[in-house]
Amino acid sequence: MKNRTLFILVMIFIVGCILFGGFLGIYIIGDETGGYNYDLAIPMIVGTLSGILLYVLFSKWSKRRNGNVPDFDERSIILMKRYLMIVLYVLLIGSGATLLILYSMGVYLIETGMLIVCLMTFYIIIGVGAFITKQL
Amino acid sequence: MKVINHIRDIRLKKGITQVKMAEDLQITRQTVNAIEKNKYNPSLELALKLIEYFNVPIEELFYLEKEENL
Repeated sequence: MKNRTLFILVMIFIVGCILFGGFLGIYIIGDETGGYNYDLAIPMIVGTLSGILLYVLFSKWSKRRNGNVPDFDERSIILMKRYLMIVLYVLLIGSGATLLILYSMGVYLIETGMLIVCLMTFYIIIGVGAFITKQL
Repeated sequence: MKVINHIRDIRLKKGITQVKMAEDLQITRQTVNAIEKNKYNPSLELALKLIEYFNVPIEELFYLEKEENL
């Protein structure tokens, strides 16, 4: 029961973050263009809810297929720790090296939008890597 | 020195599937597979659980591989 409550709370937090990010996006676009297009909220909400529904359906299918086998255990945690340690150093050293190379190439200014794209790419790559690590 | 185990043989002898064992010990099927292939050494806690689960002495389940030069 405790795990279920925690799961629901985590899901609410994730959905809240996704919706907040979406509305923030609408606000930023509106701020740039001068008109707030709230029609964008429909695909955002529908997409988020569809994603949650797909996840719940997949979890139920997985539970039926594998029985009451946990998703995580001691080995998964060890693998994840190793993966995150490698990611930390790759990101730290990689980002530092990239900045030095850019500076040496004569790039002295970075657009904030480009930083957002860069961070989004990092998040996606780290997320995919974590998913693959979990499956090992 | 490498730790070798006989978990696969004992499990098959008792007619237990990997999924059943994973369910009973609350570990993932991948972990069962990794332990059986000697790619992962379980923690002391899991090793003790395995001994209790199969009801065999520890030396029957795990042993150290002897190096040839020793």
